[in-house]
Amino acid sequence: MMENRPHERTDRPPTLSIENLTIEFSRRRVWTPVVRDVSLRIWPGEIVGVIGESGSGKTLTSLAALRLLPRQARIAAGKVRLGETDILSRTDAQMRELRGNRMALIPQDAMQSLNPTMRVGHQVGEPLNLHRGMPLRAAAAAARKFLETVRIREPERRAREFPHQFSGGMQQRAMIAMGLALAPDLLIADEPTTALDVTVQAQVLKLLREIRDNSGTSILFITHDLGVVAELCDWVYVMREGSVVEEGPVRRIFAAPQAEYTRMLLAATPSLHEPRRAGEAA
Amino acid sequence: MTTGFNWHRWRLAITGSIIIGIILIAAIFAPWLAPYSPYDLDVAAMLQGPSAAHWLGTDELGRDTLSRLIYAARISMQVAFIAAGVGLVCGTLIGVTAAYFGGLVDLVLMRLMELLFSFPAILLAVVLMASLGTSILNAMIAIGIVFIPGFSRLARAATEVVLREQYVESARAIGMSNTRILFREILPNIIAPLLVEAAVAFSYAILLESALSFLGLGAQPPEPSWGNMLNVGRGFMAQSLMLSLAPGMAIFLTVLGFNFIGDGLRDALDPHMKD
Amino acid sequence: MARFLLTRLAAFVLTMFAASIILFIAINVVPGSAARSALGIDATPQAIARFEASRGLDRPLVVQYAEWLRKAVTGDLGTSFQNGVPVGPELLTRIPVTLELALLAFLVANLIAFPLGVMAAARHQGWVDRAFSTLASLLGAVPNFWLATLLVMLFTLWLRWLPPGGYVPLGTDPVANLKLMIMPALSLGLVSSALLLRIMRASMIEVLSRDYIRTAHAKGASEWVTLRRHGLRNATIPYINVAAVEFGFLFGSVVVIEDIFQLPGIGSLVLVGIINRDYPVLMGGALVITLFVLVTNLLVDIAVGFLDPRRAKEGQA
Repeated sequence: MMENRPHERTDRPPTLSIENLTIEFSRRRVWTPVVRDVSLRIWPGEIVGVIGESGSGKTLTSLAALRLLPRQARIAAGKVRLGETDILSRTDAQMRELRGNRMALIPQDAMQSLNPTMRVGHQVGEPLNLHRGMPLRAAAAAARKFLETVRIREPERRAREFPHQFSGGMQQRAMIAMGLALAPDLLIADEPTTALDVTVQAQVLKLLREIRDNSGTSILFITHDLGVVAELCDWVYVMREGSVVEEGPVRRIFAAPQAEYTRMLLAATPSLHEPRRAGEAA
Repeated sequence: MTTGFNWHRWRLAITGSIIIGIILIAAIFAPWLAPYSPYDLDVAAMLQGPSAAHWLGTDELGRDTLSRLIYAARISMQVAFIAAGVGLVCGTLIGVTAAYFGGLVDLVLMRLMELLFSFPAILLAVVLMASLGTSILNAMIAIGIVFIPGFSRLARAATEVVLREQYVESARAIGMSNTRILFREILPNIIAPLLVEAAVAFSYAILLESALSFLGLGAQPPEPSWGNMLNVGRGFMAQSLMLSLAPGMAIFLTVLGFNFIGDGLRDALDPHMKD
Repeated sequence: MARFLLTRLAAFVLTMFAASIILFIAINVVPGSAARSALGIDATPQAIARFEASRGLDRPLVVQYAEWLRKAVTGDLGTSFQNGVPVGPELLTRIPVTLELALLAFLVANLIAFPLGVMAAARHQGWVDRAFSTLASLLGAVPNFWLATLLVMLFTLWLRWLPPGGYVPLGTDPVANLKLMIMPALSLGLVSSALLLRIMRASMIEVLSRDYIRTAHAKGASEWVTLRRHGLRNATIPYINVAAVEFGFLFGSVVVIEDIFQLPGIGSLVLVGIINRDYPVLMGGALVITLFVLVTNLLVDIAVGFLDPRRAKEGQA
């Protein structure tokens, strides 16, 4: 059943293409699959949501695209492509070139994901140093404009500060700035709004949408929050216990879910018959 | 799959226990295990190397090194256990009291402990020995005092964790007396980290006791201690290697054994340990 | 920042003061032993009484301490019971010896522990890690005075490379000085390095498991850059704290090592003071050692305040 997918194109490959991916976890020397035969695609300029509960394998799938799986995990089967590039056959050095450069990660816990002993400007500008050969000092200075992009006020002063001096929302925006530094094709956002207040959350979502609108960056948005998906995403994948149970355009998924599990998820969430518009009260 | 005892997890602690077990047996059964008396002089046979008659040779007065080594184990083990015991009991009392009563009591006690803690261990032990007098008993007391701040700090931290739990509140609410709360609720739950620290304290006590004896401040001649045997051995280095090697090896193995037990316990009891 | 420094300094002074009280009590708590040591075991009670009276040892402890303190703040640390030599100047000539020994030993310990600990953590659970950890385990169980003996057996007795003891000031003859300092420094430093290696390894392993390390990898940083830029600074902070405590232990151990190698430092003076029950000497020596340890703690505290931006902020609050 081929549903209409506006961002799908015939002249270019998908920004991210994952086919039949299986990831195994080792526990006491025994490898068990935790992600089974997962396929998903993201087209240029598309915001794709991956919904699922904890343990559904959504984070692992995204980490696999970056080849940043933890030690106890390994990719057992499947294909992963970033545009034309075959991810699974890259060497470590080649992967390092891609990370932070053509695809970037915005991880879940911004406070923990920032180095507490390094100034924010240095961290946000670091991709320039790693991939464009800029000295770290100069990169930190250049980071000022990235902080501006994510609407952090007084960017010069803030760039010299340390992470603990930022509020939760600002930390998350700093992480986004870090991800955007080199204008990647793909942003992988792993539950970026989960720890934030509702108002701050709205700002971050608005920011992400602007980024996509202005530069055509694709976004892979991982979350368990259906409301956020409804607000931000174009296409949705629903994951459960390591498999994709359903995919489709966001409106259709919410209006007419096909899979039993999707229906369950929607039923469990209060008052979600229609995607909310930004700023509308719940 | 049936779950038997997880040998692999406890392997370090078990290895340590075997080593210490052997030394303990040697210490306890010294009179039966030692081939000679540690005091028997035989000046004609002095400073001999290993032989059939004397497995580890003889010392500067012709005494059998192996026998003296075994009897020295008694002294080292005694000092280690009593010193660690003194430190453990007093330190725990102070730490738990400080955490339980809080406020001024806590402040005063912990400041005092911090102060004691800022003295280097050897210095404190040595200074205490100066005033108490040189004997094995005083060594036990001196070393025990050195351990008190460390145990008190640990006991206090562990007690704080327990106090935050609900069951102490409940116990107090149903009218349990302070002493009963102490023994029933608090102590059983702080025992684990204290035992690990105790193992470390044992090994440290062995080192301190032998250092004191080496300096002539612990066991006095003719009592054999690994420390004072090493001291003598140093003087006769050219004539007898064994006199310097054997006691040192004994200290090394004992300390290693206790370290294994301490590390092994810590690793085995650590909930984060992955197989 | 100024407030941070001032509070630390004030705490230091108070601690020194309290430490002097404790040392004084510890030394003087048992009456009579100083006299008996100086006069011999056959001393008559009258001789002992005269001895004590002449040195004010029969007065209440509080009075004695007050007297000592009054003189001490002007720099007068009394005179030896054995030979009447002023304690203060004697300590001054001995400080450089002990300081050199302690610093050299500490340098040795860190030069070994730091890189090996980092390497072990970077190759966690690999054979490098297991090898270094085992090495640290074994080395840490060796008594430093035994190691000293073994080193002398090897380098003096067998190889005949190094003299067994003695001292030559650094200014007079650096080469001879270092030849005499190597074995003492190694005896102390090698054993210390074992503990420090384990601490650095543990600290780095903990840091490497943090999320910001994953962020660095996600940005495309290589293992080396991540380690250097993101790992080191965060791992060094807890390391420094433990290293400071270990330095304290090392400084205390000079009492044993100086005796073995006949180094005319504070440690050997303290030992003499103990054997002779020479209270002024013992008090002065023990106090200087404690002073150095506390100064080290103070410096480390300040250093951490600078290294850790979260702490520096506390000081300003």
